[in-house]
Amino acid sequence: MRYFDTRGFGERVKILTMILAGGTDTGLSVLTRHRAKTALPFGGRYRIIDFCLSNCVHSGLHEIYILAQFNPKSLIEHIRMGKPWDLDRKSGGVFILQPRHYGEAASWYLGTADALYQNLDVIRRSGADHVLVLSGDQVYNADYGDMIAFHIAHGKPVTIACKKVRPSEQSRFGMVRCARDGAVREFREKPRRSQFDRASLGIYLFNRRFLVDALARPRRDIVFDILMPRIGAEKVFGFTFDGYWEDIGSIPSYYAASMRLVRYRSLISRRDWPIFTRGDNLPPSIFETGSRVQRSIIADGCRIGGFVSGSIVFPGVTVEPGAVIENSILFSCSKIGAHARIDRAVIDKQVTIGPQAVIGASGVAAPGVESCADMDAELDTGGITVLGKLARVAEGAVVPRGVAIEPGAILT
Amino acid sequence: MDNVVGFILAGGAGKRLSLLTTHRAKPAVPFAGRYRIIDFTLTNCVTSGIGEVYVLSQYISRSLERHVGIGKPWDLDRAAGGLRILHPHLGFQAADWYRGTADAFYQNASVLRALSCRYILILSGDHIYNMDYRAFLDYHVSCGRPVTVAVTEVPPALTRHFGIATLNRSGLITRFDEKPLKSKSALASMGIYIFERDFLLAVLERMKPHHDDLDFGKHVIPGLVGEGKVSAYRFNGYWLDIGTLQSYFETSLALLSPGSRPGLFSGPSAPLTVPDEYPPLAVESGARIEGSMVCSGCLIRGTVIDSILSPGVIVEKDALIERSVVFHDCTIGPGSRVERSILDKDVRVGAGTSIGSGDASIPNSLQPEYLEFGMTLVGRSTRVPAGISIGTNCLVAGSKKSGRMPRRDIPDGGACIAADIDL
Repeated sequence: MRYFDTRGFGERVKILTMILAGGTDTGLSVLTRHRAKTALPFGGRYRIIDFCLSNCVHSGLHEIYILAQFNPKSLIEHIRMGKPWDLDRKSGGVFILQPRHYGEAASWYLGTADALYQNLDVIRRSGADHVLVLSGDQVYNADYGDMIAFHIAHGKPVTIACKKVRPSEQSRFGMVRCARDGAVREFREKPRRSQFDRASLGIYLFNRRFLVDALARPRRDIVFDILMPRIGAEKVFGFTFDGYWEDIGSIPSYYAASMRLVRYRSLISRRDWPIFTRGDNLPPSIFETGSRVQRSIIADGCRIGGFVSGSIVFPGVTVEPGAVIENSILFSCSKIGAHARIDRAVIDKQVTIGPQAVIGASGVAAPGVESCADMDAELDTGGITVLGKLARVAEGAVVPRGVAIEPGAILT
Repeated sequence: MDNVVGFILAGGAGKRLSLLTTHRAKPAVPFAGRYRIIDFTLTNCVTSGIGEVYVLSQYISRSLERHVGIGKPWDLDRAAGGLRILHPHLGFQAADWYRGTADAFYQNASVLRALSCRYILILSGDHIYNMDYRAFLDYHVSCGRPVTVAVTEVPPALTRHFGIATLNRSGLITRFDEKPLKSKSALASMGIYIFERDFLLAVLERMKPHHDDLDFGKHVIPGLVGEGKVSAYRFNGYWLDIGTLQSYFETSLALLSPGSRPGLFSGPSAPLTVPDEYPPLAVESGARIEGSMVCSGCLIRGTVIDSILSPGVIVEKDALIERSVVFHDCTIGPGSRVERSILDKDVRVGAGTSIGSGDASIPNSLQPEYLEFGMTLVGRSTRVPAGISIGTNCLVAGSKKSGRMPRRDIPDGGACIAADIDL
């Protein structure tokens, strides 16, 4: 157990961190068919959970449990012993907890509170004073020390992090109204319209005793079953976070966060706040004579012969001469053929795009793709074209704008 | 390969690399952007299945130690075997600096004796190549002689830089000339040997009294060739000994021409190195990158042509880098030009400065023997002032403490070395 330096509060506090990473969110469609949402590649070389883990390490938190259950293999492979985050420690470190037989309990995690409930033994035995509950699918840089200091200063059982959001986004979040002293007076989960301007970020800090008591009986949801009944009783306080924060829940939000990163790189480029990740072992990227790259983020191990603009290119991608990549995200080890054109697309790992193929063409009804079994027809991608892992697009084929193609599909 | 232990000689001072080795050991010199020279040999060990490796280190070993660590990137952090660094030390028999390559082994005789392996593979920490040592060992075993030397064919013009072996039909070395002016054979010793362990121990005991600076190339191999005990193993792949500033510079830039890329970086023997924590490369609008290798953590606003950029280099607007090698974390100020130069780590070039263009026929005034081929070298952490002009064949190094250097132009062949730099 790690003692947390409370910076002048004259006491030492122990913090246990739980990262919720079990969601079966369908908003990411073909990108999460074979991976946990928290293991989704982001920002050219990272996975989404890297942001949360790096924040923890930079904040001095070194005992971290990741609660996972949906497609955990990709996440387990990424985290392993936690070496890249210096979390392969003698005491503490990072652990992945999946649903398991324990006493009477034998079920999946049925909700956020249930995931905590099923791991109550860990919480109870930790000897921690406070339990920080984080969400593994968010990208932001934050020193949790600020929130911990706030929590200790107020001495209330629960602190929730919140942030001002635009009215148009309110329906995505739980909206809260705080009194001037920070006490949360009202909480509405995903309201269609709201007078409150603060959204709860899904980051909670509980007094450990309080949490254990609240979980005396099985609970499903942190918001509905733990927070809501205690709103107004001066038990829940809101800590305002005012940096950039994004929740990656859908293809449009993933795409928007990525495109924002192309413009404002501070999320990944702060020298005092590096984002740690599992390193790859690839040579430097090669830019051939005649290539042209503008406003882009390019990882190691790529060979760029064509034109890349406004895009994020992950490790090991080949872009042949004459290919044009615009406003797109290419995951690792994809191959883009000569004179292929890609616009506003997310291309998963190891995809092969044939020469002269067109991805994200507008106003084209694609022969062979329309209503084919390889398409996620339910999904509204917001005009982004998505190609699943290992998909193959034949020479000269056209994939229309806004479709999501399943992993392994072959398009002719 | 349980029967082999690798020993990497990494103690040489590498004087001929000039400012690149005033503060680091030669095997720790950055190469091809994100690698260090020793990465290639360490990777060869691991891909050949050698799980126990000793690095013999002596000259400014800090950079090497920091890089190699406990061998994690090469999976050499093992419970049994793994990687260890052997420094000169006090003790029975050993009580001196390593005076020669074989002397380093003589002084570590107790280490050799404690090993349970039959074969000792002796490697050099300053070669760039991919080699499967398993084939080398198989050949050694099949020959049945106590020593095998790896040899490779070099251009006849270069034989005077190497130990040259003459073979008979059965692969026995019949003659060995160290750096001959003229030679019929063009088979150069790569400085890579397999010894039977007990034989090596006996030879060291026998020869040490005659040569205080006992050296494999100068004494041990020629002596054993005379006794008819040395086989030669011909290696036909890409192999380079980074010996001089010129070979370093030209080998680096040769990586960029697509035809001659020696396949060093792909496939199962792709080099392994210490992972970095830089964000991916960022390219802004108005930037141009062509014919170059660029690493993570770089930020490109200007133009990069035919160059190699290590991680963390910032190229500001309207700056130009051409045919140059730029090490980690350098910054090239707006409007500056860097041509045919090597910038060591953490060099900051102010705005509107020109480095490296000029008349290549004037050799460097301080080290004419190393620097006469039209290149400029800027030492680590030098702060190059804005608006000055540094010619070609120049050696520039700011003070160790502040990196500062005088604000004046440096003509072709000039040198500007701070007083606290020991060149």
